[in-house]
Amino acid sequence: MTIYDIIFYLFAAITVLSAFLVVTAKNIVHSAFYLLFTFFGVAGLYVLLGADFIAIVQIMVYVGGILILLLFGVMLTNKITSVEIKSGTIHVLPAVIGLGLFAAFVLSTMMTTKWKSNPAELPFTTVYDLGYILINEYVLIFELLGILLLIALIGAASIARKDKE
Amino acid sequence: MKQYLLNTWEALSTIFIGMKITFGHLFVPAVTIQYPDVRVRLPERVRNRLYVNMDDCIGCLQCARACPVDCIDIETVKSLPTEDLGKTSNGKKKALWVTKFDIDIAKCCYCQLCVFPCPTECIYMTDVYEFSEFGRNDLVYKFATLTNEEAKEKAAQYDVFMEEKERQKAEAAKAKAEAAEKAKKEKENEENKEDNKDK
Amino acid sequence: MHQLLEEIFGSELIAIIIASSLPLIFITVLVIFAVLLERKVAGHMQDRLGPMRVGYHGILQTIADFFKLIQKEDIVADTTDKRFFNLAPVLVFAGSYAAYAALPFSSAYIGSRIDLGLFYIVAISSLVVAGILMAGWSSNNKYSLLGAMRSAAQIVSYEIPTVLVILSMVMISANFTVDGKGTLSLMEISEIQTSSFWNWFVLGGAGFSLSKFLLLPFTMAAFLIFLISSLAEVNRTPFDMPEAESELVAGYHTEYSGMKFAMFFLAEYANMFAVSAIAAAIFFGGYQSPIGYLGNSLGIEWLVPIEQFFWFSVKGVFFVFVQMWLRWTLPRVRVDQLMTICWKYLIPYAFVNLTIIGIISLI
Ligand code: SF4
Ligand code: SF4
Repeated sequence: MTIYDIIFYLFAAITVLSAFLVVTAKNIVHSAFYLLFTFFGVAGLYVLLGADFIAIVQIMVYVGGILILLLFGVMLTNKITSVEIKSGTIHVLPAVIGLGLFAAFVLSTMMTTKWKSNPAELPFTTVYDLGYILINEYVLIFELLGILLLIALIGAASIARKDKE
Repeated sequence: MKQYLLNTWEALSTIFIGMKITFGHLFVPAVTIQYPDVRVRLPERVRNRLYVNMDDCIGCLQCARACPVDCIDIETVKSLPTEDLGKTSNGKKKALWVTKFDIDIAKCCYCQLCVFPCPTECIYMTDVYEFSEFGRNDLVYKFATLTNEEAKEKAAQYDVFMEEKERQKAEAAKAKAEAAEKAKKEKENEENKEDNKDK
Repeated sequence: MHQLLEEIFGSELIAIIIASSLPLIFITVLVIFAVLLERKVAGHMQDRLGPMRVGYHGILQTIADFFKLIQKEDIVADTTDKRFFNLAPVLVFAGSYAAYAALPFSSAYIGSRIDLGLFYIVAISSLVVAGILMAGWSSNNKYSLLGAMRSAAQIVSYEIPTVLVILSMVMISANFTVDGKGTLSLMEISEIQTSSFWNWFVLGGAGFSLSKFLLLPFTMAAFLIFLISSLAEVNRTPFDMPEAESELVAGYHTEYSGMKFAMFFLAEYANMFAVSAIAAAIFFGGYQSPIGYLGNSLGIEWLVPIEQFFWFSVKGVFFVFVQMWLRWTLPRVRVDQLMTICWKYLIPYAFVNLTIIGIISLI
């Protein structure tokens, strides 16, 4: 077992454990904070896969953006922190069936896929190629996404300003 | 748009002006002093801790009466005529033993009102201003020079003297009363005579 | 550096651990120095002397304060959310420490040579935001929560102009790399600005080409924008509303005491130096000496990295000093002014700047 293996298992453990805590936490703010560690663990796994750009984007967008927004929403909502969240088990049978199906699906995919057994040469950095692809092959989608986000932004702003008129 | 650019310019330029000023002050010598090591010279008539020069105090209670917060507590005992308590530095004769002279400096408001009435100028302000204490009672300054025993002794002495005097007085009074009785009678007689004359 | 350590200790693991804890030593020394500097600067700017009693002119004051802090009782209020309350200072410090992994202290030492250095620093600082929110919320105190919210809103907003400026400088760096690709690595950006201050990005980059002189005013503007928004990112005056002592009684650290407070303190100063170092690296040549190296002219090779480390620290500390200077010059802005400065002034300027720099770099 090399250092990298240890680090991998560490990150994996962080991810799984904190994800479990997110689901089981009784307090919604606690869930949100545990989510931070889930995101972080996932980012660590990305790094180990050689996807440095994705890892950093993961932290930037999920931790720096979505999580903060989530926390803001939760904290600014009146009395939401005192809401008791039910986290018991109900509907056991449908859940078991659903989970079983999902597990079977995942397992079958894992079995049937031909995994590359010898790791490819990891590119030193993925940014250049990603940027190149985004601006060349997928430029239309890229721009459309940008416009979509802009529209969402304007929409949000106009909703927020509505009652001022 | 013009306003917008002007605002930007104003913000930036004023920040730079401010920074210039503060940078200049970086090299201005400090106006403060290193207090416990260096002290400012106090003005001449500062009002700080009181001091009583007990050698000069005649126990006249003027200061205690003048004090607006009643923080001076004086008790005196009269001296015997046989005792000589000496004179104050400005020539007043002392006649009272000051058995207690407490100033509760914690209450004192440094108004200096007690200083002026003193006939011998023995209570005055010093320039000591660091006298904080851990206990409030430590701030009651006892100036009386007599020890407790001495004070008791003086008081007892005086009581004995007074008793003696009282007795003498009583005797004297008795004698006087008799004399007065006599005189009265004589007077009455005289008055009667005069009355008769008038009639 | 890494190789050297590996040779000395004969084990990769030990080398990694030592190499990664070097910035910690640097931060500790820096904080001890910077706190004293701050108090001295504050004192002298107000015509006072600052601390004078511990050591000659108070130079040991911070060390005394440090011992005071570690002796202090760790007070945890009953209604705090214990787990997160204890975790928050660690998270905040971890966030600011993680940024040091991508700072090039000298050509011989950088925590990680990742190509995404700048991007990584910007991203990892979001851990600080999360930590601050955690601290504010778990303190269960309205002032702490308000402070934390302000801080988070402020950091998130000011990240935009910062990133835009960084982006424009990365675009400039594309003019100078061999393969014409820009770089996000602070190390490479520093390498480009080598040999003399003439090549610094704040002066438009290397060489005597026309584009340099065209770029010059815009890089200056970029630097100003970066300076202002980085002040806001580390919660320094005039943008220190999250900690506003006079209205929020120190904001999110109200409930903290002893070592945990020291942790926030350490993180704050570490952050200050981190943004200063970034400013130094992308505008002022990073660890490069402005006047050439003594080691080169004397032919002593190992002296050069040390000199570089010296220049790096000097530049960083200089910008830390500028932050202090501003602190004792400007009053605190209001929340609405804060948002106005960011959204109505800095972001449009940064955008315009970015566009113009892009066009100039193209031609
Ligand atoms: S200074 Fe004023 S308050 Fe103090 S003892 Fe004298 S009269 Fe009383
Ligand atoms: S006024 Fe002066 S002499 Fe009289 S009791 Fe006070 S201190 Fe003594």
